[in-house]
Amino acid sequence: MNVMASQPSKTDSVVGAQGLGKTFGGGAVVALEDASFDIRPGSFVSLVGPSGCGKSTLLRLIAGLIERTSGNLQVHGKEVTDPRTDVGMMFQKATLLDWRTAVENVLLPTEVSRAVTKEDQKNAAELLRMVGLKDFLFAFPSQLSGGMQQRVALARLLQTGADVLLLDEPFGALDEFTRERLNVELMRIVKEVQATTLFVTHNIAEAIFLADQVFVMTPRPGRIAKIVDVPFDRPRPLSIQTSPEFNTLVAEVRDILGEDH
Amino acid sequence: MSVHDAIPMPEQRGGLSLRKRRLIIHASIFLGLIALWEICSRLGWLDPLFYPRPSSILHSFWLIYFQNANVWYHLYTTMVLVLAGFIGGSILGIGLGALVGFNAVIRRFLKPYVIVLEATPRIAVAPLLIAALGFGASSKIAIIVLVCFFAPFINTLSGVVNVNEERLELFRSLGASKMQTLRKLVLPDAVPVIMAGERLALTAALSGALVAEFIQRDKGIGSLILVYSRNLNMASAFACIFTLTILGFLIFRGMEWLDHRIAYWKNEAGMERVAAKRAAQMGDLNV
Ligand SMILES: Nc1ncnc2c1ncn2[C@@H]1O[C@H](COP(=O)(O)OP(=O)(O)OP(=O)(O)O)[C@@H](O)[C@H]1O
Ligand SMILES: [Mg+2]
Repeated sequence: MNVMASQPSKTDSVVGAQGLGKTFGGGAVVALEDASFDIRPGSFVSLVGPSGCGKSTLLRLIAGLIERTSGNLQVHGKEVTDPRTDVGMMFQKATLLDWRTAVENVLLPTEVSRAVTKEDQKNAAELLRMVGLKDFLFAFPSQLSGGMQQRVALARLLQTGADVLLLDEPFGALDEFTRERLNVELMRIVKEVQATTLFVTHNIAEAIFLADQVFVMTPRPGRIAKIVDVPFDRPRPLSIQTSPEFNTLVAEVRDILGEDH
Repeated sequence: MSVHDAIPMPEQRGGLSLRKRRLIIHASIFLGLIALWEICSRLGWLDPLFYPRPSSILHSFWLIYFQNANVWYHLYTTMVLVLAGFIGGSILGIGLGALVGFNAVIRRFLKPYVIVLEATPRIAVAPLLIAALGFGASSKIAIIVLVCFFAPFINTLSGVVNVNEERLELFRSLGASKMQTLRKLVLPDAVPVIMAGERLALTAALSGALVAEFIQRDKGIGSLILVYSRNLNMASAFACIFTLTILGFLIFRGMEWLDHRIAYWKNEAGMERVAAKRAAQMGDLNV
């Protein structure tokens, strides 16, 4: 089942898990069971599966937001115990601070860890330009559309300087067009900053389109049913989604998920 | 503004804008009512003893403000009282609200008392306060603190408790300390609702001051109203009441202005002002 786990090569694994599990309510709810994997530096991993299969749980474990109940989990070879600066997380909602301009929102992670310098401000502005918001540096969240707010949240995520990025359905609340555009930009950006990325989605095609590897997850109990390798180079054009190879992969994932999708 | 503004209407007619025409209509209605009152009084349909004529009220304004100029002192006394009580009540309300909001244990055990306090008309305690603190400014201020403490308390409490879960998670994922979460998330987030509480508190403070002055009628605009009414000098009493109307209006407007300044992200003008300020502070952000 777990191809990667059978050949653990610690040296080139950014995120590694062995028999990782999480239960809630004193064991009553098994949110995640026996997850084992190794994620290569700079790779893009999609987590796909129906609601309740433990996708958010896995991300929150890696982020150090919740404690595991079994198994082991390392980021950069170090056991995860608390939230850490080399791991950054982005949520389905932008969760921006309404009283801060876009730049100030992007600067929040820096402010939390140290005094903000002129360089930090320039960096934040540069990130906002990178996500296509060069004219909105001093706009407040209420003045931005949903898609623009998520772009600010993405810039804020990059400002953390983390090289492991966790994105939990980051564009899930946006319309189809905006989501597709942001996906393409995300692919370009994570390549540019050479981050290792874990991306949660409900959408099979989106999962495959973005990733080097797709973790296909099934619920009750939540587990990684299969890790599917995606052989295309990144970044890739949207048009790849119409190729036969791509659709074979979609069919494969759909098959694993069974009736649910 | 009002609902009527949404109805499309021709902007210009007869050379006057809609706004000006409305203003003229409002003014005519107002003056008409005043004139009606005056006429009714002069025709003997209204007892001028209890319903003084507008003209005599106007005359009283002149008397108490300029000829005798006695109102200034009382107005000043009341204002100082209101301000002292309001500030005291605000500090107490916001402080306790934050304390209780942050501490789940305190919150649980305090809840029944809050409910009891909310159900009791707080002004009923006023005589007790006078008994405890004696006559004088301190018991008056205590009464005002009591009546205006509650809104900031409840609003601060709910503002602090109702922090968005997702934002809290964000702060946790950034490794923010408790103090940072408080200063950068919880407090700013609670500001608009605290300000709403402050508005209510200031209105309550004015009413509280009047009640306090009705009970201890040594000085202040409340005691002045009491004295004029007892002497059946209704025109002067009305002049005092209208003074309070104007004062209340100014206070309301002042708080509105303050609210707009402090909770700047809730209005366009505020956002524009702060955005410009931030842009100037940060200067050139080109790499
Ligand atoms: N804090 C919690 N307390 C109790 N149960 C929880 C908690 N968080 C998650 N669960 C349970 O764990 C299981 C997995 O939840 P998780 O949020 O990881 O699913 P998900 O795959 O992210 O679902 P979705 O696609 O709906 O976001 C679910 O059954 C959920 O009810
Ligand atoms: Mg989820």
